Amino acid sequence: MNESVISKQPGGRPQTVDRTPGTAGRIVTRTVMWLFLLATAVLTLFPLLMTLTGSLKTGAEMMTGGTLFPAKLQFNNYAEAWKQANFARYTWNSAFMSVMVTVGTLLVASMAAYVVDRRDFPGKRIYVTVQASMMFISVGAIVLRPQFDLMVALHLNTTLWGVILILVSAHSSTFFMLQGFFKAIPRELDEAAMVDGSGFIRTFFRIILPLLTPGLGVAGLFAFRHAWNEYILPLVFTMTNPKLQTLTVGLANLRYGSSAAMQIHLMMAGACLSILPMLLAYILANKTFIQVTAGSVKG
Amino acid sequence: MIYKWKRLGENSLFLAPSVILTLTLGIYPLIWMLRYMFYDYAGYGEALFTGLDNFSRLLRDTLFWESVRNTFVFAGGKLLLTLPLSLLLAVILNGRLRGSNLLRGIYFMPTVISTAVISVVFYNIFNSYNGMVNTVLMKLHLVSQPVDWLGPKHAMLTVILVAVWGAVGNYMLLFLAGLQSIPQDLYESASIDGANAGRRFWNITLPMLAPVAQMVIMLAIIASLKGYESIMVITEGGPIGKTEVMYLYLYKLLFPVSTGSPVTQQLGYGSAVGFATAVIVGAVTGLYFFFSRKMNKVY
Repeated sequence: MNESVISKQPGGRPQTVDRTPGTAGRIVTRTVMWLFLLATAVLTLFPLLMTLTGSLKTGAEMMTGGTLFPAKLQFNNYAEAWKQANFARYTWNSAFMSVMVTVGTLLVASMAAYVVDRRDFPGKRIYVTVQASMMFISVGAIVLRPQFDLMVALHLNTTLWGVILILVSAHSSTFFMLQGFFKAIPRELDEAAMVDGSGFIRTFFRIILPLLTPGLGVAGLFAFRHAWNEYILPLVFTMTNPKLQTLTVGLANLRYGSSAAMQIHLMMAGACLSILPMLLAYILANKTFIQVTAGSVKG
Repeated sequence: MIYKWKRLGENSLFLAPSVILTLTLGIYPLIWMLRYMFYDYAGYGEALFTGLDNFSRLLRDTLFWESVRNTFVFAGGKLLLTLPLSLLLAVILNGRLRGSNLLRGIYFMPTVISTAVISVVFYNIFNSYNGMVNTVLMKLHLVSQPVDWLGPKHAMLTVILVAVWGAVGNYMLLFLAGLQSIPQDLYESASIDGANAGRRFWNITLPMLAPVAQMVIMLAIIASLKGYESIMVITEGGPIGKTEVMYLYLYKLLFPVSTGSPVTQQLGYGSAVGFATAVIVGAVTGLYFFFSRKMNKVY
């Protein structure tokens, strides 16, 4: 609302004169507002800046504290974290897990969403209701225990596949997101393909799925973010198997380690490494993140 | 007839992965919990049916009720800071403002960053001895002595602040989506009738936002009751149980945390606690819906 325009509106009631603060008042209001906005922005960025500067300090600087900026930029910290602190392995594990979860979630959810959107079958309402309720039931870590035991029985606990399967099983939000995207693809397309002799499976993979690429990209971004940032599930699965630890788990373990105080600079370098991919994705696909999140309340 | 069976086969093929994963990793763990909450089961050896024993233990379990109390303090503190702050930011950014896209991008950034990773960072920067928070506060002469952020007196405040940091951007965006769906002509006609900015906020923005706000607040309540990842990384529920929230307590009953934890693994009892926490979250949500029902029909 532009106050100066409003105040020029003719025909206002007499008591509305005070609605527009004087020039001085307006400057004060604006200043306070901008101070608030900037302070919030600074506070939001503060931990990220501290991660960056901390990752470039020496271990000794971090231990004594007291300085804001590194005396000399220690880029070597990254090499040290990458090689000695095993961050190369953690990064590989995180990347492998997240890519597999994204591909798996998209495949499982898109196939189900396609059938639910295009066809009628007995039990369809039950299926959709169950998927919807899976998003809201929250009993915390308790479900991890039977999931874990199940994976042990299937011998999937010695690889990351157990974690991947469990993360893919939580695909209900992707399912609903993709169902919305399928609605936008006209059914006539399926029918035309079928008339041309393309079977159901072929139609889906060759014709419909390629058209869904933008939707898959959006849903995939969210699935990837979820997997990349996941902590407790890989933690539980890799407690006795440090080789499989992901970035989140490996990093948090440094904090619990006996030499934690001497490794703060490595922790910060590791944190930078694990934040960077998501931050890049966010900067590149900023609009997507914001639109999808905002869309969730608009219904 | 063959055609019908073919269709059924195709449907089943496409739904099978989703249904199998949901049944085994989504539904089965819930049934597992509902069964073992009546058993004495440590996770190894034999499970012993004990009827309602776990629930009478639950009623007498001071650690559990302490954790429930902490959960409400944590959730209450987080909501009281997050909701007004995010609403205020949303209202400001909703006005035509230079640089509002950039600010929105900054405020929303924490949502793409792993909670566990940034919690490791927060653990280091809130460190009383060499943490950057104290360094900055002392450089600005806001405090004369280092604040013991992770000590028994301030630990709860610290984990609340971290949670607020991670949440404000998200709820700001959801409020912003709600604000943008309010028709602009309402404001214009109100201005012509001489309503000032404050009046417009109270008489148009708030009531028109109410239905969206009802949903947003519900999401915020559930998320604040459920969150325990960052507390687990920053304080592990300590010191002396001051930040032990119920989902963290539940986790400790199921998986080993660090040595010296007073909680020992008990899956049977853990199931009962898991059930109780779900009931508590459900009850709070239900109560909220009852008392906020007016928000949904304002016009």
